Amino acid sequence: MIHYSILFEQLINGLVLGSMYALVASGLTLIWGTMKMLNFSHGELFMLGGFGIYIGVVSFHLPVWLALSLVMVFIFIIAALIEKAFISPLLKRPDWDVSAVVVTLGIGIFIQNLAFKIWGGDYRNVPYVVEGTLSFLGMRFAWHRIYILVMTVIVLVGFWQFMKRTRFGMAMRATSFDSDTAMLMGIAPRRIFTITFGLSACLAALAGSALAPIFSVNPWMGVVPLIKGFIVVILGGLGSFSGAILGGFIIGLSETFSVLFLPSGWKDIISFVLLIVILVIRPQGLLGKKEW
Amino acid sequence: MLKVENLDVYYGEAQALWGLNLSVSSGDICTLVGANGGGKTTLLKTLCGLLSVQRGSIVLDGEDLLNFKPEDRVSLGLSMSPEGRKIFSNMTVEENLLIGAYNKNAWKKRADLLEKIFEQFPRLKERRGQMAGTLSGGERQMLAIGRALMSEPKMLLLDEPSLGLAPKTVEQVMELIQSINESGVTILLVEQNVNVALKIAQYGYVIESGRIAMHDAAEVLMANDHVREAYLGL
Repeated sequence: MIHYSILFEQLINGLVLGSMYALVASGLTLIWGTMKMLNFSHGELFMLGGFGIYIGVVSFHLPVWLALSLVMVFIFIIAALIEKAFISPLLKRPDWDVSAVVVTLGIGIFIQNLAFKIWGGDYRNVPYVVEGTLSFLGMRFAWHRIYILVMTVIVLVGFWQFMKRTRFGMAMRATSFDSDTAMLMGIAPRRIFTITFGLSACLAALAGSALAPIFSVNPWMGVVPLIKGFIVVILGGLGSFSGAILGGFIIGLSETFSVLFLPSGWKDIISFVLLIVILVIRPQGLLGKKEW
Repeated sequence: MLKVENLDVYYGEAQALWGLNLSVSSGDICTLVGANGGGKTTLLKTLCGLLSVQRGSIVLDGEDLLNFKPEDRVSLGLSMSPEGRKIFSNMTVEENLLIGAYNKNAWKKRADLLEKIFEQFPRLKERRGQMAGTLSGGERQMLAIGRALMSEPKMLLLDEPSLGLAPKTVEQVMELIQSINESGVTILLVEQNVNVALKIAQYGYVIESGRIAMHDAAEVLMANDHVREAYLGL
């Protein structure tokens, strides 16, 4: 018999993990939705978020909120430059969706090796954003995990509102639906693409910075989140924002709960099996639309 | 208001418009009629900047349009309701209208503009919170026109507004176009339904295989043997 406190702890852990998957995946799905391309450098932008918070907090002793804000600004600029320099020129080509895969893969490999060259392969530790633990009915939760959960909810809800209510958010949705008609409204799709890419990178980097204290920072830390991110977006439905969030929590929760019944090595198998089962039943993903 | 001179446009290798000349005076309804594939939509897309120009010029209200990117032409007072409505069906009716006011000047006045459109299109007001994809054909056309009006255009381009609508609805749409024109908007109406278009226009152009075959006052075209035979089925 499993004690209820273990179940509750696993529930919290699952939600924390799920919220991270949701953040990473919503960035991926945002890019697919607007630009109709897959971004294989997303994991490396996640990694840069981790290094960013390490440099800010450990090397420069900045307060966390300041370090985090600076990281967001830098990542946005870096990602926007990447989009302008490497992805935007491909938009003119008829076969650009495939070339975007190759180019982002290349950018990912480049960033990973550049990080290795600059910072080396050591695993670096970053202190928790909020130290200490919360004791509750005999259970203990690290405040940092609760911070992750609350932060994710605020960011995702905020982003949702941004998409729903602001002039720019509406322009993003219009562009994702039909970029030619969006142009007739006076929207410049190229600019939307650049900003979308930057915002998506910020979501990845935010996840990277939040997970840095738990998993430690290294040049390869983005590889697994990228794969998980793709599982989540395909599960939730490519291009669907709410699908990415739902999928993130499903994968996160099933992984943490599977540990209760199966050896922990089975954790990753669980997410792939879930993906396959759901795709057999709903090929377009949970909240995806049929495109054929 | 609008002056097109010696316009040559290509689709890849194939020439779609040949030395096209067309002008629309301020305050008028001008119609451009012709068969499918004749170049009507090509011309409108070129005016909006979705297709590039090989030779020739397009001047709107003294501004050379070719110096402006497609997305910047809206703020010059050019607006289009495209063929097939092309409403954003992933957004609500109200959001569709708001996105029509995307350019900075219109965005500041969006609340007033929205009120004005709702006055003109009570049906859209009833359905303001509904997803645009759930509208009927006629309502979609109203929405596409309303959306185009949200940028406060001087010149409105309408591509096949009657397409796929019931005769009664076509009549309503044409009345609406007339009332928009009376409020001071110059209109270029592209239509396959030559009969209804010539009824509300002051003059028209007939386009055939990418060339202007004739242009004249609407009543003259209506009485012309070639037009009657080829387009009015008389």
